[in-house]
Formats: sequence, C-alpha cells, structure tokens
Amino acid sequence: MSHRSKGSRSDAHSLETDHRSSGPSRWSHCRKRGIDGNLRANSDDDADDRGKGHAHSDSRHSSFTTPESAGPVSRCGRPSDWGSQVEDEEMRRDLHRDTQRYRRRILAAEVTHRERKTSSGSSGSCDSREGDNIETDEAMLLRRQKQINYGKNTLAYDRYIKEVPKHMRQPGVHPKTPNKFRKYSRRSWDQQIKLWKVKLHAWDPPAEGCQKGAQEASLNDELDELDLGDIMDIELDFPALTESQNAPLRVHNSSVQDQDCGGTPVKVQKTEPPEEADMA
Amino acid sequence: MENSTDDYKIQSFDPDSQILLKTALKDPSSVNLEKVCSIIVDQSLKDVVFSKEAGRICYTIVQAEAKQTGGNIFRKHLLNRLQQEFNKREETRTSSLQEWVCYVTFICNIFDYLKVNNMPMVALVHPVYDCLMRLAHPDALTNEEEVDCLVLQLHRIGEQLEKANGQRMDELFFLLRDGFLLQEGLTSMTRLLLLEILEFRAGGWVLSSTAHKYYYSELAD
Repeated sequence: MSHRSKGSRSDAHSLETDHRSSGPSRWSHCRKRGIDGNLRANSDDDADDRGKGHAHSDSRHSSFTTPESAGPVSRCGRPSDWGSQVEDEEMRRDLHRDTQRYRRRILAAEVTHRERKTSSGSSGSCDSREGDNIETDEAMLLRRQKQINYGKNTLAYDRYIKEVPKHMRQPGVHPKTPNKFRKYSRRSWDQQIKLWKVKLHAWDPPAEGCQKGAQEASLNDELDELDLGDIMDIELDFPALTESQNAPLRVHNSSVQDQDCGGTPVKVQKTEPPEEADMA
Repeated sequence: MENSTDDYKIQSFDPDSQILLKTALKDPSSVNLEKVCSIIVDQSLKDVVFSKEAGRICYTIVQAEAKQTGGNIFRKHLLNRLQQEFNKREETRTSSLQEWVCYVTFICNIFDYLKVNNMPMVALVHPVYDCLMRLAHPDALTNEEEVDCLVLQLHRIGEQLEKANGQRMDELFFLLRDGFLLQEGLTSMTRLLLLEILEFRAGGWVLSSTAHKYYYSELAD
C-alpha cells in the first residue's frame, strides 16, 4: 500500500527549476549546434545529460542549510517529509490570504485616487496602476516570500521592528521589506532583497569578538542564496531601484566601516512565522 | 489559559513526563520539544484511551509555540514521527494489532485537531485514507478491534475526509459494501458496525433518528 503524494507539487517543482543551474550541460543542450558545428539531434545523450545535469553537474552544493532547518536540506524538488509539506501548505495558504488582502488594499487605494482626481480635476501623474501590475505567479511569490522570511527570521529584524514602529519609518533611512506583489525582474528583486538585508544588519545585536570577516562571510552566505547562475539570464531591463534605495546604501556602508564591531548577524532557528504583507 | 490538564488525559504518564507536558503547554520554548513529541507519540501508540485524545494536547502545544516564538518545531517533529510510523505500519500491524489500531486512532485524531489556517492538513489526507483502506481489507474485517477503529474514525473525521477527497471515500466504501455483502465469517457485531457506517454516510454523515433508535436504543436502557 503505497503512499500517494497529493498533486499540485508543480509549484515546488517549478520553483526548483527556477533555481537550478546545471552548468554546461544545461546550456549546451540549448545550443542548436554542437561544438563541431553540426546541428544537434535530440539524442538520448542529451536527455541523459539533462537528467544528469539536474542530479550531478549542478555546480552548486547539493545541500544547503537554511536558517529554519536544523541541518542540510536536500535540493530535491518536492519535500517528501510531512513536516515540510505542511509548512509549504501553510506558506501557500498564507500567500493566498496575503494576495487577497493586497488586492483589496490596492483596489481601495485606486478608488480613492480616482475619486480625488475627478473631484480636483488635476491630471497629476499617477503611479502606474498597481492593480495591473500585480505579480501572480505562485511559484515566484513563494520564492520571494521565502527570501523575505530569511530576512525576517533574524534577531536584527526583531530588534528593528521593536525599535522603529512602522509609522515612524523614514523612507531611505529605514529598511523596507520589498513588495513581493510588484512585478520586478529577477535580478532587480534579488538585488532589493540583498540591499534590504544589508540594511537590516544595522540592527544586529552587539557581539563581542567582532570581526568584519565574519560579517562578510555571512553576506557571502546570503549571496549564495541568490541564484548566481541566473545572471546568465540576460535581463535587458535594468534593476528598477528607486533613488531612495541607492542613497542609504552609501550611508550604511560608511556606518559599517566606522563601526569597529560590525556585529555578527545571528540567524534565529525558527521557521516561518505567519507573514504579514509588509507594505506601508 | 487555565485548561485543566485533566482535559488532556495525561494521568497515564509517569509523574516526570506529566510535569514536562504541563511545562510544554505553558512555556514551550523552555523545553526540548523533540522529547515532548517523542513522549506523546510513544504513549499514543501504547495507550488506547490516550490515542483518542492526544490530538488535543498536541494542538495546544503547537499553538503555544507559535504564539511564543513563531516556530513550529513541535509540529515538524510530530509530523515526521507520524510519517516514520506510517512507513512501517504493516510491520507494526503484524507485530502488534493494538499498536496498529492506536496508530490509526492517533493519526486521525491529529488530522482532526491540527489544522492549518482552519483547514485540515493536506499532507495527511492520503496517509489517513491509506490507513482506513487497510482497515477495510478482508483480513482486517475479521478483527473486531480493527473494524471498531475504522468506524470510530469515520464517525469522527469522515465528513472532513470526504470533503478533502471524495473519490477515495467512494473507494473506501466500495470495500465496505463488498465486505458487508460478500465476506464470510464476519461476526454479527462487525456486520452491524458496517451497516451502521454505511447508513451514516448515506445520510450525509448523520444518522437519522429512526436509524439511531435501531442501533443505539439498547444503550439508552
């Protein structure tokens, strides 16, 4: 009596194919001509390569440790343990709830905006209508949500939100969680996440035995989380960073250099808390 | 939250474990949740009475941990332990019928109590069905213990299960009808239980008052 997994794993699976970079065999498969210049036929070799590529010529580590997990986590597409399956299920449900809340907020804001426009008769520039610009790809939203959770599962974030209530946040100075519902290119999004997490480090708890090296090491870990293979995806649109996001980076850098104790970011071992769509 | 711990039926645990459990309910971050999980699961597999109610204490601990630390370490250990036991259920059934019955009761109880955003955990739907299907097999129908377990679970979670996956419920009931009609050697109690559950489901997971009178009137006396 075998245990059948429920369907709808395609989300997790496509998530995984997003992440994968199988090194040379992936790209060579896409090339129409082989090295000898002849057209490639779809041979079994290619299929094997592709299969192998996924399992073996993956240029990255075959496992990685996430803040939430107790140890190395396998890179297979779908989690086979019930604990992870339920967590994923919970994330997906939370995501649906967030999506609905976000849509309602956008619609409400648009209605108000439109009313104001007609009454004042102004033709002020309006933000490209958010309602048309909502990211809906579930796999992408889940991936973005996970990235946000990594950032929020830190002592730095806890200290930050305790210290600075949302209404006191000054744009540019205080880190703001990237809005997962907006359409951004992959590079742009990953960059925003990176910058956001860098800014959060300013709230790291003070630690004795400070090393800038340790901080750099952890930043490297964070970079590893980014799919560097995807740089190969040629994104012709430039990262849509706003001014406010560029400026504080410089400020932050100087403050980091000034500090003697950068403070080692400490990742708390807790799994995803219920996510509150963080947009203000 | 002052829930009398009697509600959780932990009297069957040894005193130290009882203290550990009570602490887990109030202050989950201060205890080793893996150990707590282990104690609960082990007891559920031994104690028929506890296995019927263990879901409740598990639910409370999960909530308490989520509220206190935002984590779900306990739930993760619980589910993975459930999965381990699931994978060796055939072995368990062979070595100890009672442990097998306790396991099914326990996993169904967890399914009943531990919800995700108020919905049953999708990951458990197929495993629960697999267990119930096993109980509906001819070799299991000859054991009153197993039949009793089967009908109890269907009473408690049948409706939810059917909503989660109607097709498998249909398949289960094909087996139950076959058993009732065709299987020789079933005790009259077994046939009574099967007939009752067939009527129960046919009535939309509710027993009509006349049927109730038929099946349960003797109990009232």
